[in-house]
Amino acid sequence: MTDARVGVRAALAVGRVEPLPERSVTRELAGFARRNPMAAAAGLVGLLIVVMAITAPLIAPSDPLKTDFRRMANPPDARSFFGTDQVGRDTLSRVIYGARSSLIVAFASVLLGTTVGALWGVASGYLGGRFDLVSQRITEVLQSFPDLILAMAISMAIGTGMPAVIVAIAITRIPFGNRVIRSVALTIRELAYVEAARAAGGSAFRVMTLHVLPQCVAPYLVLATAHLGVAIIIEAALGFLGVGIPPPTPTWGNMLADSLTSLVPHWWLVFFPGLAITVTVLAFNLFGDGIRDTLDPRLSPAFLRMMAGGRRG
Amino acid sequence: MRKYLLRRAAFGLSTLIGVSLIIFVVLRILPGDPLVAMFGLEGFAKLAPDDRARIMEDLGLSDPLPVQYARWMHDITTGSLGRSFFRGEKVSEIILHRGPLSAEIGLLAVLISWLVGLPVGIISAFRPNSLSDNVARSLSILFLAIPGFWLGMLIVLATLFWFNYKTPLVVVHLWQDPWANLQLIVGPAIVLGLGQGAYIARMARSCLLEVIREDYVRTARAKGLKEALVVMRHALPNALLPVITLSGILMGFVLGGSVAVEQAFGVPGLGRALVVAVIERDTIVVQNLVMLYAVIFVFINVAVDLSYAWLDPRIRYR
Repeated sequence: MTDARVGVRAALAVGRVEPLPERSVTRELAGFARRNPMAAAAGLVGLLIVVMAITAPLIAPSDPLKTDFRRMANPPDARSFFGTDQVGRDTLSRVIYGARSSLIVAFASVLLGTTVGALWGVASGYLGGRFDLVSQRITEVLQSFPDLILAMAISMAIGTGMPAVIVAIAITRIPFGNRVIRSVALTIRELAYVEAARAAGGSAFRVMTLHVLPQCVAPYLVLATAHLGVAIIIEAALGFLGVGIPPPTPTWGNMLADSLTSLVPHWWLVFFPGLAITVTVLAFNLFGDGIRDTLDPRLSPAFLRMMAGGRRG
Repeated sequence: MRKYLLRRAAFGLSTLIGVSLIIFVVLRILPGDPLVAMFGLEGFAKLAPDDRARIMEDLGLSDPLPVQYARWMHDITTGSLGRSFFRGEKVSEIILHRGPLSAEIGLLAVLISWLVGLPVGIISAFRPNSLSDNVARSLSILFLAIPGFWLGMLIVLATLFWFNYKTPLVVVHLWQDPWANLQLIVGPAIVLGLGQGAYIARMARSCLLEVIREDYVRTARAKGLKEALVVMRHALPNALLPVITLSGILMGFVLGGSVAVEQAFGVPGLGRALVVAVIERDTIVVQNLVMLYAVIFVFINVAVDLSYAWLDPRIRYR
């Protein structure tokens, strides 16, 4: 940033200023794709999966809930590419519809959890004092549960519908948002312009929302994309363990659980839903890495360390 | 060091009190009636109000919440953790019977994650952007995305298909039959170990790459040390600190992940007991097992902090 400014100043001094290239969305995207071809490809795959989920009724070859007792547990063939399950439902259609539950839960829970955590983190970092102390203790306690186990206990307590699963996963994401954004807010708080805003008589709320919060957007986005994959895996695990979204709604997790009901599981009932999870998580993770490199190149190794070493009191 | 140890221990203990409060609050605001869960809706309707009250009394669920909480804390300190609603099995028996299996899986997984992750990370950092580095990184990215329980299911399917082999379904302890015991734990441990190994490799690589740029490493090279010695003796010890911390955090993933992976392999460990209890809404069992997992996790983190302070004396004086 400072380098660029020095450059502009130097250019001004000699009287030649190149006009800045226009920042169009397509140009930005092209730049991103050139710098991170892997991440761009992953983003494209992720986008395709999202489109697949949205247009599920149009592209699914058949109704995911329609049973067909003449075609029970058929291996993949020309009529159903991914085979059929024990009651003759088309696995491909179920995988396509499963993307819906998976993505809705992942996006909603990460959005909810990271946002709550981030706002809390801003307040905690900016206000400091006793509020920060108590907040950090609560975060510490929340992080003392393994993710999946906390999510299981919460979803047991509040029920097993989609909203319950979203809330359960969101709660496990709060501590991460809180910790990372708090550490950002702690540095922002000390900057001169924030002090100026305070000196000008801005209330704590005003300074936080107008001056500290905008600086947290980039790390927020990095954090949110980084957690999408985790959220998908937790959702699938909950479904697999029978405490996620209950059948008959197809989810990748409960499809895997269903496959265990036969004595010898059929390979296509195990393989395809899991493959869907893996591809989706891979796409989101790689895209998240690209976002991280673009928004804050300095974060890359330090980011990992912050996540890992953040609990040092 | 002793002062630091005491401070960390006190910190861990206060965290655990918070943990127990959260578990208690989460599980007691359960909208469902435990009696409905026990007897089913019809059975519940047939019960006379007196019987309902009596059973609730027996279960200790009719006392005021603070009393229940105090009794639970007392139970934990004495080690008698109450009984399952359904089976009448003592929770402490469940833990003693199934716990060792899960503990073995966890320990073996951590061992595997270090044995796999560390060399891979070192090789990657040795020659960044070489073919081996790229292969290692691609693999670790892949393993971060594969859900452990799915990998487990695939392994079970593959061994069944090609070797017609199925793991035993009953609890076998190490001291009863080491060979059968190993068959139970090796699958979940490999799956969990590879998953964590991917994180370890990534972390080891990025830390090593950062340390290698330091002046003292250049000095070591300048005085003519072999590259292997430079890495092993000079770079690695400093790069390991964050890896150790990460390993502690990862234990949480192992603990959580083992629940799903045990289910995938059909291993009758503690995770299976927890899953069954959650599905049956067996509050007492869930409450104590979740607490146990949290206690182990907090304990590991305190241990990691202590090892960190032991390895890096600067930490203690902060």
